[in-house]
Amino acid sequence: MSVSNLLENWSEFRHKHPVEDVPHDPYKWAMSIDLDACTGCNACSVACYAENNLPVVGKEKYAHGQAMHWMRIERYWPEDDREFPDQGAQFLPMMCQQCEAAPCETVCPVGATNHTPDGLNSQVYNRCIGSRYCSANCPFKVRYFNWYDYPTTENVWPAEMTQQLNPDITLRGKGVMEKCTFCIQRIRVGQRSVKNEGRVLRDGEVQTACQQVCPTNAITFGNLIDTESKVHQQWKAQRVELAVDEQTKDKEEGGSDLRGYRILEELRPYPSVMYMERVRESAI
Amino acid sequence: MIDNDFDRRDFLKVLGWGGAAVALSGCGNTSIEDGKETVVSYVHAADYVIPGISVYFNSTCAQCEAGCSINGRVREGRVLKLEGNTSSIINRGKMCGLGQAGVQHHYNPDRVREPLLRNGDKGETITWEKAYGLIAEKLNGVSGDQIDFLTGTVSGHLKVLLGNYLESLSSENHFVYEAVSPAVQRAANMKSYGMEMPRFSINKAKVVVSFGADFLGAWVSPVHFSQQYAEFRKGVDGQRGVLVQVESKMTITGANADRWLVVRPGTEGILALGVINALGAAGLQLPADVAAAVKGYDKERVSKDTGVSTEHLARLAALLKERTPSLVLLGSAAEGYAHGSENAAAINLLNHVLGNVGKTIEASSAVPFPQIAPATGNYAALRLANNRLADGQCKVLFTYATNPIFTAPTEMKFKENMAKAGFKVAFTHYLDETALQADLVLPLDSALEDWGTIVAEYQPDGVQIGVQQPLMEKLYPNTRGMGDILLALIKQRRAEEYKSFDDFYSYLRTALLKNKGEFAEAGVDEDVYWNDLLSAGIINVGGNVNKLVDKISTNIQLPPPPERDKDYPFTLIPSVTASLRDGRHTNQPWLQESPDPLTTIVWDSWVEIHPKKAAELGIVEGDILEVESRNGSIKAQAYLFPGIHPDAVSIPLGRGHEAMGRYAKGYGVNPFQILDRVFDKETAELAMHETLVKLRKTGQRIIVVKDEGPVGGSQQGRKIAVSVSSDQVDLSEEV
Repeated sequence: MSVSNLLENWSEFRHKHPVEDVPHDPYKWAMSIDLDACTGCNACSVACYAENNLPVVGKEKYAHGQAMHWMRIERYWPEDDREFPDQGAQFLPMMCQQCEAAPCETVCPVGATNHTPDGLNSQVYNRCIGSRYCSANCPFKVRYFNWYDYPTTENVWPAEMTQQLNPDITLRGKGVMEKCTFCIQRIRVGQRSVKNEGRVLRDGEVQTACQQVCPTNAITFGNLIDTESKVHQQWKAQRVELAVDEQTKDKEEGGSDLRGYRILEELRPYPSVMYMERVRESAI
Repeated sequence: MIDNDFDRRDFLKVLGWGGAAVALSGCGNTSIEDGKETVVSYVHAADYVIPGISVYFNSTCAQCEAGCSINGRVREGRVLKLEGNTSSIINRGKMCGLGQAGVQHHYNPDRVREPLLRNGDKGETITWEKAYGLIAEKLNGVSGDQIDFLTGTVSGHLKVLLGNYLESLSSENHFVYEAVSPAVQRAANMKSYGMEMPRFSINKAKVVVSFGADFLGAWVSPVHFSQQYAEFRKGVDGQRGVLVQVESKMTITGANADRWLVVRPGTEGILALGVINALGAAGLQLPADVAAAVKGYDKERVSKDTGVSTEHLARLAALLKERTPSLVLLGSAAEGYAHGSENAAAINLLNHVLGNVGKTIEASSAVPFPQIAPATGNYAALRLANNRLADGQCKVLFTYATNPIFTAPTEMKFKENMAKAGFKVAFTHYLDETALQADLVLPLDSALEDWGTIVAEYQPDGVQIGVQQPLMEKLYPNTRGMGDILLALIKQRRAEEYKSFDDFYSYLRTALLKNKGEFAEAGVDEDVYWNDLLSAGIINVGGNVNKLVDKISTNIQLPPPPERDKDYPFTLIPSVTASLRDGRHTNQPWLQESPDPLTTIVWDSWVEIHPKKAAELGIVEGDILEVESRNGSIKAQAYLFPGIHPDAVSIPLGRGHEAMGRYAKGYGVNPFQILDRVFDKETAELAMHETLVKLRKTGQRIIVVKDEGPVGGSQQGRKIAVSVSSDQVDLSEEV
């Protein structure tokens, strides 16, 4: 797609999301993360390095904020001046929220980041010119920029280690933005294989790397449209709606006793990731 | 294949199957010419290679001793990623970060690739023939009691071969050393439950009180327990499980507790007895001897000794009384004192009093073939080996899967003592600190290139034997599997008995097929059975269930908490992290760059200190502190950490390597080095938490390299990571 084509036909390419005119069908990929199950162990993060060819940047670059962890665990402490965090820490797995109206998409000068028909926020590496506007505009700070040419100049993967690289995804060169893709390579392999069978993917046929490794099954990934999918059922049970900026349940009198919520929903990015609140026992 | 005059019983002994019955449940091996090629001609594609299509093989993870079953993705003959094997009762398809990094162990650029013989300060490349010849020569004229094997945990058929080799040498000196092991607990459990490692059912408990057992991080079988934990949180009979963690330094398990009770270091046992006392006060019927034993532990005294408020003590007792069954766990934080065994006894007593034995603590199964049961390690073994080296009793030393020069306190002088042995052979993957002191370094295949069987110490149901098989061709032609090496060495002594085995593979196959008759349907072809076995990657064996005893011992001698030492005012807690453990895998860059869950620090060591104490001493984050014990000092950056008792400071283990490879060497400091030699009175285990230290600001300050932002753990009033009280939430309709 040329830039002129893109500009001339902007309204066609740039749907208003969540979309009414072109609804997602048959897939809308989404996640739910149970913070009461998440232990903060970091297995998801390491699995993401293994699956997605993420470079280990080393101490110095890490200090400069150049870590490339698409999936990171944030750790928060209670903020009420207690002497000890006697109800533990609060962990939060944070990755691209695959927003329906992604703030990153609107600012990309070259249309390198787009909404896909199956509801993902895609990143087209070879279109990206590295303006980094998207990263500046991302409220979740989950976009990672290649400040260096990791595959060639930084010796991130010594010759031996290049053999581990996942051939299903490209290596990203200097000047390119990248982020969590919901393991799109796994989704595409799955989609193609069931297409031959003339059907759509069933729940569980595609797992993201983080979901697959998670020792406590805290991460659920799936097709939000599929009423049989666990992610659909969880969103439904938690009464979390995709296309709103304030949940109906929260507007009700007395609030909700359900745990589901989305982060920074009020900014209207319409995230595709629902979190479920961590619970702490009141009797102890 | 086997000579007629060969005795069958001996043969079974050779193979390690001399015992009762088993229940066995099994893919082939890739055969790729050379995994290093980037351009592959597909005109003559190797078996199992379809360009662009991944194939999956089952094996067993060797990154720690938990024995999780893995499923490796192999494409174009190269292993790319490991997943959990969903059929495994240990890890049920799941893995941890450490396990994920197994591929970085395999593809590590710093692996030793050739046998090396010491020539002055250099290692000279030699052939395997020469290496074997040299070993035979050095063993010549040395009596069996002068030959020592110092290894990490070994199990399965490797252990059988090792045992047989030692026997052929007439040596009984196999020392199994693990720097970080639940050794005190094993002894205490033996007394309390009649077995070292019973089954713990977190998922059946409504309340779990863990005294420093980091079961979500590095304790015993973390992936297994994490899954139990997830079930426990979902609830038993619809009631969400409650976790209370008692420790002086917050572990990742503590960070997930509903109530984290910080105790004065070493007073875990006092708290346990205090809870029993409080349970009695709350109306629980206590046996007379127990009531007498805990009489002095009224809540005021216990609160004063431990620092836990009387209110929390009463609430904990009330909760335990109300919600049954519960489960009390015991971990390294409670074990690591001179009175560690006493702490352990007090904590186990709490399980007896609560009636948990037989409910959430159940009998484990004995491995039906004791020969393949794991030889579990402890610290006491190193002490013995070290003493023998110091006294010159050991002439030839073999080391395998252990790095004592890194993990032993400097004060033990292991390095100096090791030099006294005439000939030192290291079987190793890396040139680590210990291998550097060896005379002969023999390079091993990686865990993803080797054959074997792994039996974990902790068995959740029956006994699972993990089958380890190569996921790809060897990367380097001159590495060898440990089993192959042992077989070659044993043939030097017992050529006749082992001549039918060309390699460890044939040995293993013969050994495993030996029991086919017991488990496979009659008439199943050997090859079919073998292929099934390999494709499963798991052999499930029933095993005889041990007898659980519910034995109450009230003879518990707990010392009062000591006055703080004026010169060395802090207790040093060397913390065990889930990814670095005792430092054996520090050269895997994913692990170095994986932030510590609690501090989010990467690539370096740090000193955790409570913010209040730091303010008192004028310490701010990034100050380089000199941490000095009576046995040495190390320097590391300060990190202000709210989850630690103000009388303690903590430094994580695993970093501070002086060798091993590019990703390990020179990053951080090694707290093992400065540990005081204080031992648990009963088991003679090193009391890891008994080292006292003082702090000195060096005047340097650096920026701490970590993942958390400049506002630390604050959400700045936004709704990012939300927590809710259990009485404000309805979990009943959740999916």
